[in-house]
Order: sequence, then C-alpha cells, then structure tokens
Amino acid sequence: MQKLLYLFVYLASILYLAPLAQAQQTKFTISGYVKDASNGETLIGATVKVKETNQGAAANEYGFFNITLPQGNYILIFSYLGFDPQEVPIILNKNITINTKLTAHSVQTGEVVVTSDRTDRNVKSTEMSRLEISGEQLKQLPVVMGEPDVLKAITLLPGIKSGGEASTGFYVRGGGPDQNLVLMDEGVIYNPSHLLGFLSVFNSDAVRNVEIIKGGMPANYGGRLSSILNVSLKEGNNQKYSYTGGVGTIASRFAAEGPIVKGKSSFMVAGRRTYIDALVKPFIADSLRSNGYYFYDFNLKTNYILSDKDRLFFSGYIGRDIFSFTSPRNKDISFNISWGNTMASVRWNHIFSGKLFANLSLVYNRYDLNNEFTFGLGDFKAKFIASSGIRDVTAKYDLQHTVSSKHLFKYGGQYTLHTFVPGIANGNLGSAQINQEIDRQYANEYAIYFLDEWKINHRLTLNAGLRYVAFNQIGPYTKYEFDESNLKTGVSQSWKTLESISFYHGLEPRLAATYLLSEESSLKASFTQTYQFLNLATTSGAAFPADLWIPSSKIVKPQQAFQYAVGYYRNFSSNEYEASVEAYYKPMYNQVEFKPGTQLFFNQNLESAVISGQGLSYGLEFFFKKKFGRTTGWIGYTWSRTTRQFDELNNGNAFFYRYDRTHDMSFVLSHQLNKKWNFNFVFVFGTGNAVTLPTGRMPFRVGYDLQTNEPKFVFIDLYDKINSYRLPSYHRADVSFTYMHKKTEKWESSWNFSIYNIYNRANPFFVYFVPDIEKQEVKAYMVYLFPILPAVAWNFKF
Amino acid sequence: MQSSFKNIVILLSFVWITSSCEKEIDITVDPSNPVVVVEASINQFSATLNYVFITSSIDYFKPDLTLGGIKGAQVFIYEGVISGKDTLYPEYNKFQMFSVGETPFIDSLLPVVNGIYYNPYFAGKENTCYLLDITLPNGKKITGKTQIPKVVPITKVYYEIKGNPNKDGKRDALMSFSFIDPADQNNYRIALKKGGDSLAIGWGNADTYRTFDDALVNDVERTYPFAGGFKETDTVNLYFSTIGRTEYLFWQSFGSANNSGNPFSTPAVLKSNITGATGSFTGYGVSFKQIIFK
Repeated sequence: MQKLLYLFVYLASILYLAPLAQAQQTKFTISGYVKDASNGETLIGATVKVKETNQGAAANEYGFFNITLPQGNYILIFSYLGFDPQEVPIILNKNITINTKLTAHSVQTGEVVVTSDRTDRNVKSTEMSRLEISGEQLKQLPVVMGEPDVLKAITLLPGIKSGGEASTGFYVRGGGPDQNLVLMDEGVIYNPSHLLGFLSVFNSDAVRNVEIIKGGMPANYGGRLSSILNVSLKEGNNQKYSYTGGVGTIASRFAAEGPIVKGKSSFMVAGRRTYIDALVKPFIADSLRSNGYYFYDFNLKTNYILSDKDRLFFSGYIGRDIFSFTSPRNKDISFNISWGNTMASVRWNHIFSGKLFANLSLVYNRYDLNNEFTFGLGDFKAKFIASSGIRDVTAKYDLQHTVSSKHLFKYGGQYTLHTFVPGIANGNLGSAQINQEIDRQYANEYAIYFLDEWKINHRLTLNAGLRYVAFNQIGPYTKYEFDESNLKTGVSQSWKTLESISFYHGLEPRLAATYLLSEESSLKASFTQTYQFLNLATTSGAAFPADLWIPSSKIVKPQQAFQYAVGYYRNFSSNEYEASVEAYYKPMYNQVEFKPGTQLFFNQNLESAVISGQGLSYGLEFFFKKKFGRTTGWIGYTWSRTTRQFDELNNGNAFFYRYDRTHDMSFVLSHQLNKKWNFNFVFVFGTGNAVTLPTGRMPFRVGYDLQTNEPKFVFIDLYDKINSYRLPSYHRADVSFTYMHKKTEKWESSWNFSIYNIYNRANPFFVYFVPDIEKQEVKAYMVYLFPILPAVAWNFKF
Repeated sequence: MQSSFKNIVILLSFVWITSSCEKEIDITVDPSNPVVVVEASINQFSATLNYVFITSSIDYFKPDLTLGGIKGAQVFIYEGVISGKDTLYPEYNKFQMFSVGETPFIDSLLPVVNGIYYNPYFAGKENTCYLLDITLPNGKKITGKTQIPKVVPITKVYYEIKGNPNKDGKRDALMSFSFIDPADQNNYRIALKKGGDSLAIGWGNADTYRTFDDALVNDVERTYPFAGGFKETDTVNLYFSTIGRTEYLFWQSFGSANNSGNPFSTPAVLKSNITGATGSFTGYGVSFKQIIFK
C-alpha cells in the first residue's frame, strides 16, 4: 500500500508541478509517423533528432514519434538504417504533425553505401540488452538450406544461444525456451518452430522487423522470465501492388501486397510450404513412400488509415506441421499428427493529441496438437483421436504520453483468458467407445503497468516502471485426488464457473538508468523482476509437438526471476562502430521440471509430477558492430554459467543447465563486393552442451532362447550425476554470395548461393553407445546432422 | 534452365536427407557405485516363468557375459494367507528358490545363467499374495510383495491375411484380440512370442511387450489390435496377463527407461516395487493363446 502511495505522490508531482515549472517557456509538440516512401510502411525505431539541440526521439512500434520543444525554428533530422536521412526545417509556434517519408538507399546506382543510420540510440537510450534485426537484414545472413530464419538469426547475437542445429528453441541468459515470450503482431506464438525445430514459423517475406529484449525489460512487457521476441509483420504497400517470393532448397514462399485504397489502406498476404515430401519420395524405398511430412504457413495483414488520428490493423496467421503415415500394404493402418499455431489480432491506433498515443489490441491465439491413429481389421478397427492445446483471448490497452520534454509516460493494462486443453481422447477400440477429456483449466491473467522515461538532465536518464501482475485460476474445474499409484482415490474438489481456485499476484519493479559519459559513451544499469504463470511440460530439448502448457495452480507456484545488469556502451567514428560490454546476474526461483520418466500424454495427474527448484545464470557479454559502409557485421562473445538445483534431482546438488555454455561466440560479416555481388560470412563457436551419460547397466527381462542356447535380456541404463559430461564444442563457418540481377522498373531478382559449414565440422547432435559384449567394450558414436552443405535460393520481387 | 534448376534442387535435397552422419568418439565416464537389481516373476500358468534374477549393475563401458549375476543368495517366496483384513505369510507356505548352476537337480532342468533362482515345485495361484525374501551373501536383506491377480481371459482372437505376397511369397497378417475388462481397476501386460516355441524360459524370450491399464476403457469388452508385424504361416504365442498396480508402474517406467537411448529424452528412473534393491516382483495372471496364421 505504501508503495502505491509513493507512486501516487510521484505521479501527481510530475503531472501537476512539471507543467507549472515549464510554463515560463511556451512549448509545443511535433508528432507524426515516419514511413518508407516506396510503400508507405511505417519505420519502427526510426530516429528524429533536433539539429540545434541534439535532442532526439524514436518512433515506436507503430512508427509514431513525438518530441516537445520550446517555441522556435528548428531543423529535424529523420533517419533509419538503410535509408537516406532527411532534414526537415520547421517553424514551431503551435503543435504540429509531420508525416515523413524516407527513401531507401539504392545499391543499383553503383555508389558505395557509406551513410546510413547515424543513430546513437544504443548509447543514449535507457534500453539495454535489446537488439533489432530488420526483415531485409535477415535475408542477408547465410543459413542452412538457404531458408532465412528469424530464430536462427537471433542466436547469432550475444546472450542468445541456439538449442542446436535441429532446434529453433532459443535460450536467453540461462532461461528455458518456454521463458521467452514470442509475439507475432502482439499475438503469442506458443510453438515457434516447423520441421521439428529446423525452421521457425516466421516467413521472412512477411517479416518487417524483429526485436528481442533479453534483459532490462521495460514495464510494458511481461509474462515471461527471460526475453521478449517481438516480430512485426509487414503492413503492406499502400502505393502499388508488389509481389515477392523465393524458391529455396526445401520450401518456397510467396507474398503479395498492395493498396486496397491507395494511400489509405493496404494488405499483405504471404504463404509458404515445404516440398520436402515430394522431393524425397523418388529416392526412398517403396515401403516408406506412404510417409508424408509437410508444413505450411499463411500470413494475412491489412491496415486502414481511418483518419489522421486513427489506424486499424488486422493480422492473421495459421501454420501447421503435418505428418502422416499409411501402411503401404494395408490402408487400415494409418496415423496422422498435426500441430501448429493460429493467431488473429485487431489493433486500433488512436492519437488523442501529439502528446498522447494509444493502442488497443484484441488478440486470439491458440496452439493445437492432434493425433489420429487408425489400425485394426474388419469390424474390429480401432480409431483413436487425441488432442491437446492452449487458447488465449487477450485485450490490451497501451498509452504513450509525452508529459513534458523530460517525462515520457507509458501506461496500460492487459487481460488474458487462458484455456488449457490438457487432453481429449475420442474413438473406439473395437466395440468399446472412448470419449474422455481431462478437465480443461481456465485462468485469468492481468497486468497493469506504468513507466516513466525521465530525462533528469542531459547526462542522466531514468526509466522507472512498475508492473502489477495477477493470475487467477478459475472454475469450472474438478481436482481429483490421486494415490501413490496414480489412481483416483475417489476424493475430489470442484469449483463452479468463475470460482477462484488459486490466486497469485505481485509487483514487478523495473528500473533502468543511463549516464552519458560523453556524447559517444555511456554507462547503463538495470534491474528487472518478472513472474511467469505458464509452464511448458516437455520431455524434449527440441520443441517437439508433445509440448503441453500447464498453468500455475495450487500445487505449481509461479516462476520468478530477478535480473541485475550493468553495461558500458561506446560508439566510434560518428556512430559507424558500436561496442558494448554487459554483465548480468540472474537468479530464478520456482523453476519447473518433471519427475524423470513422467508420462505427459493424457496424464490426469500431471501436476503431481512437477518438481520445483532454483536456477542461476550469470555472465559477461561483449558486442562490437560495424553498422554501415561496404563492410558491415559484428562480433559477439559471451562468457556465462547457468545452473539448476532441485531437491529431488542429482541428490539435491546444483547441476549445469543443459544449454549452459561457458563460451559462446559469433562473427557476422557482410561485404558489398560490387553493385551485383554481396558476400556474407558467419562463424560461430560454443562450448558443448552439458549432457547426462549412463554410468552403469542393469540387466533385466531375462529369458533363455532354446534355439540359440543364449540368454536374452535387455540392459537398462543407470545414471549418476546430471549433465556432468560435455559434448564436444560446437563451431562452424558459413558463407553466402548474393547475385543481384539488373533491376528494372518492374522486376528485380537475386540468386543466393550459400555453403553451410564450409570446413565440414562434425558438430554433435547427440551421442549414443553400442556395446560389444564379446569384446567387453562400448563404442561411442557422435551423430552430427549437417556436413558441408551447399544451397541455392532464388528470390524475386515485381 | 528450368530442368537443370529442378535437378539441382532435387540433388541438394537428397544430399541433405542423406547427410546426417556419425563418427566414433572417445568418451570416459566414471562408473557409478554398483546397485543390486532384482527381477522376480511368478504366475499361475507356467513353471518356467517363475524365477528370481539377482544381479549387480555393471560398469557401462565394461559389459561382460556374466551379467553381474549374484550367486549364493538365500531366496524364498512365501504364499500369503488371508486372515481377516490382513495377509499373513506363514513359514509353511515358504518356497525356496534355488540358484541355477549351484544345484545339480535344477541344473539338469535349466541352462546355466548366473544369478537365476528357480524352483520347479513352486506354482502360483490366482488372487493370491506373495512375499519375496532375499538374503544376499553379504547379509543384505531384500523384500518385496506382489499378487497374482484374477486372470482376465482372452475372449476372441481375430486375424486377417491381406494384400499381395511379399518377396518371401507370404502375405501380411493383422491380428487383434478381445477381452472383457472387469469393473474394478485393472492393469495388463502383453508378451508376444513369434515362432513355434512358447515362452519356455523367461519373459525375456518374447519379441513384443505392451503395458497398459483400463483408464481409457473400463468395464466393457474391448479389443487390442496389433499394428502389423506378422506374416502368413506365422505362429504367435500370446500371453495376456493381469498385473498389480505397482507392478504396472514399474513396467511402465521400464518402458520409458528402455527408451532412454532417445537423445532428447530425460533419463527415466525405474519405479521399483521392492525394498533393498532396484527392480520388480511381479505376479502375472496369465491367459494364453497360440495363433497360426493360415
């Protein structure tokens, strides 16, 4: 209560006293959107700088900016990476609106690109541990099988680790993959991977911007412990129709965009499908040709400029992975498994005034997993359909309020109704009918927040915020009591519709400060506290479709993390180069694991298998980037340590987290060779994953084969310490060349030739063992996925 | 141009699909302390499926043919007697299980596998509880309890021979069987042995195993189908057994642990139902059918 009182006094003093103090000098506000001149797309993060005062502002995630200045004449400089800066003179004697259109650099002119985003935002803003990649940058990076991928790209950044080659799961500062909030136009994507982890669900043709926040999370974000991955889709060209696409080694994609009403509204549709199934069939045995796997995804986005003050956006996504099998010899034996995300969001931007921007979002998203098995014969067929998933309905309202030239407020609230579908089973086993459903679970999740970005003086800026979060598991629900043998005791407790079952709430203070040491260097510090009320139950390191989300409940306590970070930021040569060093310390509590061997599928008593423990991660991250010129790129290096401790595991001793990596390094280089050829190079190195290996064998299920006169048995592996062995280190280098055909007015195309793993490094995917009892020895084999691997992709636009 | 592009795409895809590789590496892992492992099995159907197998775990990287069998243990099975609400295990219902390889009479009946204890005179009974009592040569005590549940008979067996002949000239066969699941909670284990011989010695001689309960379907006649794997003229020996709940949990965890080779799985832990060692004492209420696909 006392904290709320302090907050009230603080707000009152700013809202009422600040305008009085500033009344001596009349001030006005300049606001508007920064857009791409070619297609009308807003430019997220574009900067506005006042030439005379060096004051600046950045466009928000909708491209809206505002800046408050005393009456006078000014020159505003608008800039954005890859676009020509634009100077706009203004006479400021009233509040004004400026919608600025920037023009992209043209590489076809033959001129070397030497100027670009001269922003010093990384030094001067309070944001730390935040990184951005545009859709265009994404396509430049060499990737496996020539398919650009958002999640593969972000793992080249310091502090973000990849789960491995067959995994788009990412691990941020010691957190698990479920501790990352993955958003597509504000809709939650619960499983961001296709092809069992080889690719992400984000079609690069539909992506406009990717933002990742790995620490120092401002108060307007929450819901997960470790990071926010915010993927913004293209809005669509509101000037003319255009089409982009690509033919890659395993998938093709196509996107169309254009005006619905020129200059007022636009659409973007994009689709992608893999043809790995069709390509492989000619080469596989007849008996396997009935197997099929493919994925597809489809994006739709429209936006309408309703008035100078109102914009409406609609975004939709559906993606599925489908695996099917029908016995080539008997069509009565078949199974189909499909899984994927669905998302739809409506967002309404409203500008109350140049100082007050608001966004209302309504989002529906879900993740579904469906299994269908058919087998049997004649009248005694068995058919079994099982499904599980999670569904959310979210309403979110955010306001951005420039109270004065020193105070930028952001405040708002969010409500989500979660529906958890742990398992539905329907079908028949012969004449016996199956019609069962594990009780659905429902929960309300609330958040309200307030933050103030306070420019105390030229050198010191503070971003202070407070987020209040609450999670309420509600009925209808029946909780059954189970005995030690996992059978219902007959005792149960029921809750009526909307009746509270468990309630958790808490305050999440967020604090970030930047102190400018000079115009090109700063010190930053941040503190973040976060809660997480959703837990991913999976037995897999990869994002396998067995993923099941369970809520915090009476038994499962909310996860909690604190993160402390300090950093030094330094730009060189007029911001051409940027460098940073960040140190972080991140304790995590109520971390969730499941008892070894727990059956996740259709387990009515899953909660009792949950074990709770602690995690700790700390590390040092170095980042050096060259931002523009013919040669661009970065080097990132992280030293870190991550552990977990559970009383029920490893005799209660702390053990290395599976994705703990002492050393993690990435080097990314892009070089414009001439106006037709571009060269890219990537090198990554990481300490090997920590794994648990067997230390003994227990013979079981003995028998004696009278035909061979040999004993028959199986060995069950015996394990000792968890994750005490390290796989060999991971490293590889990739190159790619992009050849740009001569651009015409109506057509442009390029070929991307890439070689993944150019020195053919055998990187460990997993190890397995083959015993040779005769020789009394065991051989260890390391399986690696990708040797040297060339790929070609053709991209076009017209 | 289009044709060559298509060829390139197909070639590259093929390279990728077939490019997953492996190589031998050296790994040194310190062995864990040995643990005593017990697998004890009793049933009402076949004497050669009543045995106690006692071993010591072995170093993972030094497997040997002796299987770590422990000889010289005193092994007894007590048949329970109901007394009111209690089950008593009187001395007069005690059966000693003899070590194969150390007892001439037993050796004439069974091949020698160290650590196996057996008594041809022991016969299990339905709806009866049993106590296992082991004293190891070092004096360590191991105990466990089980019951042989009421047998649930196989009511029907169906098979069908379908399709065109395979390369060996035989067509594929499909099989399912039915049983009536009783009203109370039941747990089942299937062992299936292909070939003319039945499970003469030890459950480990089977080819296929399944463990399931009646959580999804209860108190009705139900069908259990097998998804292929049989051919025309095959002979299949089907052992359909009822087992207790703790035994079911053990065999379910055994299935998970037996799959720990999956590189993505978390190592599973066996849910032992005996004390003093790791393992299981399982009573099987066996229903048996032999099917010849002809």
